[in-house]
Amino acid sequence: MVKLVSKILLYFIISLVVLEILVRAFHLYNDRPERFVDNDSLNKWVPGQEGYSVYGNRRQVFAKYHINSSGYNSYREFEPSEDGVEVALIGDSFIEGFHQDYDNSIGKKVENNLNGKVEVFEYGHSANDLADQLHTIQSYSQEFKAIDYIVISIRYEDDLTRGAYKPINRIPGYGFLKYSKLLVYVQDIGLIDPAKRMVAKILAFKNNRTKKSETTEAQIDLSTTFINNFKSLIDSYGLDKDRTAFLLDGSITDQRFLDYLKDENIDVIDYAQVFYNDNVPKTLIFDQHWNNKGRTLIADLIADYVSMKEENK
Amino acid sequence: MLFNSLEFFIFLPIVYVAYWFLNKRSLKLQNLLLLVASYVFYGWWDYRFLSLILFSTVVDYAVGLGMAKSTDRHRKRVYLWISLICNLGLLGFFKYYNFFVDSFVEAFSFFGHHIDNVWTLNIILPVGISFYTFQTLSYSLDIYKGQLKPTKDFVAFAAFVSFFPQLVAGPIERASNLLPQITGKRNFDYRQATDGLKLMLWGLFKKVAIADSLAPIVDDIFTNAADYPSSTLALGAIFFGFQIYGDFSGYSDIAIGTSKLFGIELMSNFKFPYFSRNIAEFWRRWHISLSTWFRDYLYIPLGGSKYGMQKTIRNVFIIFVVSGFWHGANWTFIAWGALHALLFIPLLVMGKNRLYVNKSLGSKALIPRLGEVGKIVLTFILVSITWIFFRAQTISDALSYILRLFGDFSFASYQHPMGYRMIDFYVLLIVFVIYEYLIHENERLPVPFKNRMVRLFVYIMLFFGLLLFYDSGMDRSFIYFQF
Repeated sequence: MVKLVSKILLYFIISLVVLEILVRAFHLYNDRPERFVDNDSLNKWVPGQEGYSVYGNRRQVFAKYHINSSGYNSYREFEPSEDGVEVALIGDSFIEGFHQDYDNSIGKKVENNLNGKVEVFEYGHSANDLADQLHTIQSYSQEFKAIDYIVISIRYEDDLTRGAYKPINRIPGYGFLKYSKLLVYVQDIGLIDPAKRMVAKILAFKNNRTKKSETTEAQIDLSTTFINNFKSLIDSYGLDKDRTAFLLDGSITDQRFLDYLKDENIDVIDYAQVFYNDNVPKTLIFDQHWNNKGRTLIADLIADYVSMKEENK
Repeated sequence: MLFNSLEFFIFLPIVYVAYWFLNKRSLKLQNLLLLVASYVFYGWWDYRFLSLILFSTVVDYAVGLGMAKSTDRHRKRVYLWISLICNLGLLGFFKYYNFFVDSFVEAFSFFGHHIDNVWTLNIILPVGISFYTFQTLSYSLDIYKGQLKPTKDFVAFAAFVSFFPQLVAGPIERASNLLPQITGKRNFDYRQATDGLKLMLWGLFKKVAIADSLAPIVDDIFTNAADYPSSTLALGAIFFGFQIYGDFSGYSDIAIGTSKLFGIELMSNFKFPYFSRNIAEFWRRWHISLSTWFRDYLYIPLGGSKYGMQKTIRNVFIIFVVSGFWHGANWTFIAWGALHALLFIPLLVMGKNRLYVNKSLGSKALIPRLGEVGKIVLTFILVSITWIFFRAQTISDALSYILRLFGDFSFASYQHPMGYRMIDFYVLLIVFVIYEYLIHENERLPVPFKNRMVRLFVYIMLFFGLLLFYDSGMDRSFIYFQF
């Protein structure tokens, strides 16, 4: 029995080492750039990093990223000037675009669409919500003054959950992940998910036992909360309606919120119609991030919006 | 509990350590542990259905003892009927009741008499019922035939009925093979344990990398068959052949491997069936525990091949149709069985049904001869066509699929429903078939190489394959659980 156990352990360790080598050799792992929190409490990527975002067991997505000197994944350095037309694109991972080659981003597509007459600065960072985005605009107020148009990408159910900004440190505790590409890989393909689910189940069971009487006190009207959060954030940070638009999916946004934006004369770039009119998939295989087709459609809408604003100037 | 679940990976080492810990102390306690572990394993799905296993166990335990005490044949026969009625009654009610009611109502409608169907029930099919009822039946039948002596040890008998590695999807064990191993003392054997682990790894690879990765493609093609060209439909039938083979033989390998860890040898269930050179050989290599069960307990009692060709053909037809019906309460399975009978009977008539009994494939050469390859391919094509009935929801779906497949041949490249590269799957299957050929001499030794480095290379490649084709979004149980 001892021989069996020791042999299993030996083979297991050898297998792990060789698998680590194979995962590295075929670059099946995600490079995961380093993050930091800057003086304005903004989560950013350490400038100057380059690498590849890898998704899928068999490297189905293999996209190059490039972190610019401002700490965002972009082909362009953010140097707004008074003369040209500049657009700031602010959002979460959808704008950050680790799922695409950095030189094939939404911003680049907008620029191409407008024949290079505009420059697009992509302020995207994973998990950022509206509070983060407005705080970003405030933190870079000097740069943003020179920018002509600001497009803020929001996802209604995720990005309006707080009414005030409070810094959140999103630097993950990579720990051992830093050293083992195999671990990065198995985590990314979901092999650890069953263990996570089991732990969550056990914790939920434990919590239910200790908090048996705890029930939901009241039905919260989420839409009212979201609209109030939006108002609260705008009150705190202000909104330049003449040059700001919200990029959103109208089909998953509450009509009351859309009506509110309309009443307040806030511009909206709604991609619901163009997305759902077209049968071609607009998202990646592995998650809901936009694929090349999705990004092209979004870029076209933004370009149309900028053109329209320029014409009406 | 699924073999390919985290729960099983926690459950197995715990039971394993406790099992061998008890080995030196008490056989009775060890068997009790096996029984409790088996009930936990089964109860993980739905503990309510444990009552059915317990019922079947108690009935056949009592029937066995009753038959042993009986001196006259009539009394023995009564006991046998009790076992048959109880086991087949359970199976009939849970698996076939609604089918018979629906068929009855449809038959009346066909002849112009409309009947309101108010008799169908919302019945859940208990996992593994077809397997453990057949296993307990074999115990009573063997005692009736005088081929086995009943056990008085209830715990050992209950552990035999519910032995967790093969409880829910076989192999359907015979009491004469498994019961003595449970009533007798087991000894830890290093070689047996390592062979078991190798089989488990190979079975897991077949399940996760082959069956589960092909499943979305097969589901897509069979669901949208009307929209696809014949080339895609051919792909769907071929892929389903690999899916069900990977799924079921993968399960059997894990079951046999797990049993080996506990010092128990189960019978082989698959012997590389897709290397068969005709349908008769296919049936000696596919789901062996079921086909031999029907041979021993249905075909031979019906007279087998003793009473002339006509009766032999009748008997063959019966066992194929019953075998199809055993798989599920649907006309598609009956058609599947009947089709296999139609493919088998010509070989029987020509006396070629035992042509390859002792003829190993490519035994004198590195690769099989061209003629053999042709026969293998032809058999595979025929089997794949029959799989269409097995996989389709209705007979009419299956016929539409086949008509479309052969009606107007057109080719178009197929796109994976989730956008994956199809080339990955083609390469996977080619490598899989080549490897299966390399190991085809012994189905119980999936890594037979003498060189340690080669073995290590194979293990690592299997692990790597598991990683490359593992799909976290997929929560698939084994196909044969539904039978």
